[in-house]
Amino acid sequence: MSETTQPKKAGQITTWLVAILVALAAFYLMNHAVMSMQGLPLNWNLTPAQ
Amino acid sequence: MMMFAIPIRISLARHLGTLLATAALIGFVCFGFAATASAQPGDRGTLIVFADEQGAASTNAASLLPAPVLQRDDYPNIGVSSRSIVWVIAQMHLFFGALVLAVPIFVLVIEIIGFRTGDDRYDDMAHEFMKVSLTAYAITALFGGTLALALFLLYPHLMTYLMSAFGSQVLVYAGLFFLESMLLYIYYYGWNALRYGNRKWVHLTLGLLLNAVGTTLLVVANSWTTFMMAPSGFDAETGAIVGNIWEVMKGPLWNPLNLHRFIANIAFGGAVVGAYAAFRFLSAKSAAERAHYDWMGYTSNFIAILAFLPLPFAGYWLTAEIYAYSQQMGMLAMGGILAWLFVIQAVLIGAILLAGNYYLWTGMARSEGSARYRWAIKYIATVLILGFLVWVTPHNVIYTTAEAIKLGGRNHPVLGPLGIMPAKNIAVFLMLIGTFLSFQLYRRADKVITVSWQGWGNALMTSIYIVAVLNIIFAGVYYGYFTNTVYKVGSSVIQVMSTLVVIVVGVVIDSLMFRGARTLRVSWGRVTNRSQYALFALPIAFTWLMALMGYVRSSVRTHWHVYTVMRDNSADNFIPTLQTVGNMVTLVTLLFLAFLLFIFWIANLSGTRQLPITVDAASPGARVSA
Amino acid sequence: MNVLVKTLLFSVTLVLAFGGVTYMLPQMEGPAPEQRVINIDDLTMESFIAIGENLYSGKGTCALCHNEFGRAPDMLAFNVTEVSLQRIADPSYEGSAIDAEGYLRESMLQPSAFVVAGFGTKGSNDSESPMSAIDKAPVQLSTLEIDAIIAFLQDKDGEPVSVPLPVAKAESIAAARALPSPAVPQSPEDVIARYGCAACHSILGSQATLGPDLNDIAARRSAAEIRESIANPAATAGDGFIVKMPEYPDMTIAELEMIVAYLTAAADDRT
Repeated sequence: MSETTQPKKAGQITTWLVAILVALAAFYLMNHAVMSMQGLPLNWNLTPAQ
Repeated sequence: MMMFAIPIRISLARHLGTLLATAALIGFVCFGFAATASAQPGDRGTLIVFADEQGAASTNAASLLPAPVLQRDDYPNIGVSSRSIVWVIAQMHLFFGALVLAVPIFVLVIEIIGFRTGDDRYDDMAHEFMKVSLTAYAITALFGGTLALALFLLYPHLMTYLMSAFGSQVLVYAGLFFLESMLLYIYYYGWNALRYGNRKWVHLTLGLLLNAVGTTLLVVANSWTTFMMAPSGFDAETGAIVGNIWEVMKGPLWNPLNLHRFIANIAFGGAVVGAYAAFRFLSAKSAAERAHYDWMGYTSNFIAILAFLPLPFAGYWLTAEIYAYSQQMGMLAMGGILAWLFVIQAVLIGAILLAGNYYLWTGMARSEGSARYRWAIKYIATVLILGFLVWVTPHNVIYTTAEAIKLGGRNHPVLGPLGIMPAKNIAVFLMLIGTFLSFQLYRRADKVITVSWQGWGNALMTSIYIVAVLNIIFAGVYYGYFTNTVYKVGSSVIQVMSTLVVIVVGVVIDSLMFRGARTLRVSWGRVTNRSQYALFALPIAFTWLMALMGYVRSSVRTHWHVYTVMRDNSADNFIPTLQTVGNMVTLVTLLFLAFLLFIFWIANLSGTRQLPITVDAASPGARVSA
Repeated sequence: MNVLVKTLLFSVTLVLAFGGVTYMLPQMEGPAPEQRVINIDDLTMESFIAIGENLYSGKGTCALCHNEFGRAPDMLAFNVTEVSLQRIADPSYEGSAIDAEGYLRESMLQPSAFVVAGFGTKGSNDSESPMSAIDKAPVQLSTLEIDAIIAFLQDKDGEPVSVPLPVAKAESIAAARALPSPAVPQSPEDVIARYGCAACHSILGSQATLGPDLNDIAARRSAAEIRESIANPAATAGDGFIVKMPEYPDMTIAELEMIVAYLTAAADDRT
């Protein structure tokens, strides 16, 4: 999605890896928060706790 | 009229402060008026007051007006179905009311943008939008008056009861219209006189006040609607009104409807002025005209889609409150006899999203930089079409026995599961994300990003898209089909939040990444004529959808004028067939189109000037369009 | 072509297309509520139960939520009397009912007195019922109507009806039908009894031999074959039976499915 000069391959992979992990973590935490706020707690593996 | 040639520099804080304070003051005064103006219970005679189980003061309701109990013969009959008459007039009033309330909102925003950037084009476009709105304003008032007359003529007992509920609040409503009219006329006709410097600040303030009054009008009128759906402030035994005006107004559905209508009005208004721009584009005689109206069309579409994106959330809140207020009402709407209407709604929303996206895709041709992103269009289109197909799939279909045998059961083995909410939610949220992606790509198409951290920014943005999509699918499939009902319903909030995260993060990241970006040339006007039809399709679908949902809102009361309080015993107290509904909705949409054409023509006509007739008549009385 | 004409043509066509969608969908009309006056003196227990059944899927709006979609316990799928007694015996039960009739009445008048696990309002941890009191608006059933529904619920499982027939005179009650009656399936035994299967087949205690023995039909025929036999008897007649099985054009799909499910369940699984 950009038109920069290509950074090193390894740097790119790191960037993407970190980005994906950040996104995964953020949504994982959001899932827990959203369901808890409604009184529907989840287990660590996102299965219903009730 | 003297105008300031050089803007005088007065501190920003003071301007803003004055502006907001004045607006807030008048806004509160208006609203305070509306909220407190009413006859207090003590005005109605001697009362015995005692607390009922809810702790609210109940009264000896014999001295108050109880909810009327009517028989068929109590209703006036003028030979035509009363419901049909009120239906048409009310819907026309709602169409035009939505338009004239919405346009000043985005006009003010555009005017502010023009003021901040110093670009005259924005100011001129805002002024032109207001011209359309002004003509519509008179028609709104006409339909409002006609509606009032029709209601008092055809449903006098209901109106007596509603007047007892709202009291002098209705006079406040009328008074607000005086205020609205004054502000509207000064705002529009004083546009060029209040063009620069301090006077521009005054003009902006007037615009803000106009919107404050308009929004007050909206919420006041909404209270009548929501009172009929979910009444409050009444005595449970007799239906007599025992609460003050605030208790009557602030029912459980009032604020959800306020939010929903506020946002939906903006989307609707944007779509309608987009049709105006498309029409002028197609009729344009010069390249400059084409460029101007192309840009106007794009801005209108932007407003319409931007307001449309949060609309499902507002609608969801409204429906959730309906369910919380009355399970029966909620089930009737979405699981009972009215459920088919939501399949039609799916068709319309699919049309809206397809039209909006199509316009964005064809619009990418305006900039050379769009070639980078063209590959994504087919994938977004696929998601939209698949999502639409899932969303339109019903759960229960009326089969004959023979058909059921071929299917092997009551529901289709493959398509049946697609008919329930989890599948629908996945479909619609993916469609919304796809639409937002179209937006993002369009906005990036004419820029070359230069910030140093764009690698990170793009990686993060892409990751959020991917994870959000996966999260939505996961939440829908797992909680939707493999857990119990409560978790299933709760998981839809996960999907909502995922979509919102994409939209919010997308907007934030882009605004940061566009800093210092190199802009490529955008050729306004360089777009196909075909694309303009998307700008026609948008308001048509919006209008039809508005009328359809208005019918649902009304029909969900079933045989009650005021739900659980005043029964409907008129000749029309049944739920009509889908065909009848379709006919009525089509009728009001066509009527609205006819009126719109009239309004566009008037707006165009006002800029036309006939040349004087000369004796040597080479072309006598030639007309020139300004 | 003139821009105006093209615009109008496109717009009108699109509007009519949307309108056309409503013509393609199933047409249903919600009938207006009708006032029906019941003369108490003419009531028999049978007609009283029939009123209850009518109310269950009509004015009472019970079937709107109490069905197989999971929003509320599907009372037509289990023995209501037995389950009511189980609920009263539940250690967490804190209501005041001592028998099934009392439990049913309490459930209708004070739904939150006891909430079955998993059916409570979201976030209330099953302490609050989403059901509204049935004697209040919008449903607003009278005492007589509530009694009729209890009688129906007791009778449908073959349990004795404990609700007495109303005897108050000079009281005309209007049982208005507010909503259309969807085809609400009764229990499988009711459906089988209704269509008279036991007249020819061995099922539900019948020893008839005019048709194949249905008690163990699951061992000999698949669900699809059983379904086909009922819906299209002429095509599947055979096995040396003389009497031709009649057709049942009025049988609803729900009833058909109910019979098929019942017959394909193993004999000892049948409730």
